[in-house]
Amino acid sequence: MSTSKVVLAPVAGVILEILTSAGAAVAEGDELLIIESMKMEIPVDAPTAGTVTSFSAAVGDQVNEGDELAVIA
Amino acid sequence: MTRDESHPAPSAGASNSSTGPSWAPEIEELERRREFVRAMGGPEGVARQHAHGKLTVRERIEAFADAGSFREFAGLMGHATYDGIKLTSFTPRASVDGFCAVDGRKVVVTGGDFTVRGGSGGGSYGGLGMEMPANRRALEWRVPYVRLLDAAGGSVRSFEEMGRTYLPDGNSFTAPDVQLLRTVPVVSAVLGSVAGLPAIDACISHFNVMVKGTSQLFPGGPPVVKAALGYDVTKEELGGFEMHASHSGVIDNLAQTEPEALAMLRRFLSYLPSNVWEMAPRIVPTDDPARRDERLLSVIPRDPRRAYDGHKIIRGVVDTDSFFEIAPRYGRSRITGLARLNGYPVGIMTNNMMFGGSTDVAAGEKIVRLIQLCDTFHLPLISLANEPGFMVGLEAERQGIERAGARLVIATCDSKMPWATVVVGQLYGVAGQCHHRPTGMFQRYAWPSANWGSMHIQGGVAAAYRREIEAASDPAARLAEIEARLQAIASPFRTAEATGQDIIDPRDTRRLLCEFVEEAQPILRSQLGQTCVPYRP
Repeated sequence: MSTSKVVLAPVAGVILEILTSAGAAVAEGDELLIIESMKMEIPVDAPTAGTVTSFSAAVGDQVNEGDELAVIA
Repeated sequence: MTRDESHPAPSAGASNSSTGPSWAPEIEELERRREFVRAMGGPEGVARQHAHGKLTVRERIEAFADAGSFREFAGLMGHATYDGIKLTSFTPRASVDGFCAVDGRKVVVTGGDFTVRGGSGGGSYGGLGMEMPANRRALEWRVPYVRLLDAAGGSVRSFEEMGRTYLPDGNSFTAPDVQLLRTVPVVSAVLGSVAGLPAIDACISHFNVMVKGTSQLFPGGPPVVKAALGYDVTKEELGGFEMHASHSGVIDNLAQTEPEALAMLRRFLSYLPSNVWEMAPRIVPTDDPARRDERLLSVIPRDPRRAYDGHKIIRGVVDTDSFFEIAPRYGRSRITGLARLNGYPVGIMTNNMMFGGSTDVAAGEKIVRLIQLCDTFHLPLISLANEPGFMVGLEAERQGIERAGARLVIATCDSKMPWATVVVGQLYGVAGQCHHRPTGMFQRYAWPSANWGSMHIQGGVAAAYRREIEAASDPAARLAEIEARLQAIASPFRTAEATGQDIIDPRDTRRLLCEFVEEAQPILRSQLGQTCVPYRP
């Protein structure tokens, strides 16, 4: 039934904070991580409820807009 | 009524058998010509169209229109060859036009046929006795105008066919398109490589869309660029979706497929009246106008550095699933679109803090278009403001932020439709002032998270108290002291004491806006008709 969803970086920036990890259960709208961009802290939410099946981001990583951050299945 | 007795009306009892030979041969001829027309540019052209992942113009119209509603006009027009009096071949013109229905409401649709010499019009226009073209029908019938663009504009091949060249007097037949913008909704889908006048037509619209990968837009394509500027560029680089749906803002929305693009046109039209003399259609509301979304209580972070997705506020306020975003990839510091409140269509916008929220030139263009759209078609406008101000810096100056700001002030002050602003966060500077209109039906509410000023306290203190700070023994401490003093009086409740500004529980926003939109209906009815300020895309 469940379809996996890829979480993409909404903006370019640096990963400031990680709030989840691979294997964690998340609800829709849960904050997964925070990207710092233009002096603002940009939260990245879970687009759907499920389990974080892939998560490779680390604090301090530089990301571009559209980069894959996580997969939720 | 009088009747000329020499031309009696056919009697009710007349039948083929009693009136001699019928017109059946001509009906056969009509059907044969219709066959040619239905074949478009021929099987090879149709196969090529499909091979490029594109639908034919007739498949598009079928996908776009309510089932069985298409009524073609000028459907026998084209180029014929004869052997004596016998028709030997027929090439239809490169456009399929007619009336059709969208959700039961009539529109005029015009579709370019790329299978007929690349959709080129080829100077086929003009001449005494010509039937009314599609754009004028939409204007005279006062119904929305829908362009399904897949055409390359003029072609030099037509020079050879005509044995001469012609002056580029396209405005002779484009003038009605300009009139349409202040009369009926106009929407365009770019569904192929579109060049020349059709490329410009794409922007003589209230809304346009293109398809990822199969559509491009330019006044002149790669060969023209090569001839003029000497460099090689692909169609996709020059006028594809990256260029136009993100960078240039020439195209509002991006669809993944042609059917999705056509569905977007239908969705956009669903919020608008058929013309400026009618009220926008209300649908039976399915969402409780008094619904309170608990998430609104904490959607604005207490930490001003923490961003949030503005879509969350819109979703919490408007009717469930009613938000249709316009130009989501361009001018992203502002979210703009159409939605419904208790079934009534509205325009709605909010600053997008995920992209800083400041109004830059691109966001300014989007806002001006939304204001004009609401004014033209008599929709209330809702602003959920969290406005840091106009974008500052070298890049903003290069783009001409002041002129963009002037245009926004002018569009704001020139508008007449009912307008409600809810200040959900910051409201600063001249961009902040563009969430307010001093005339007409204007209502403003503020959330307790609101803070405002003609300029930011941070930064503003350094400028206004410069001499005092410089003269202090510890300038940094003096700066912090003055800032703290001013922050202490920045509570919105202090403003409310003096000005009467109403501050509301965020969870009551939907109920109050639904009431506002209901109150706006008689005002909107009194404003029906063309606006003094014409829509400029």
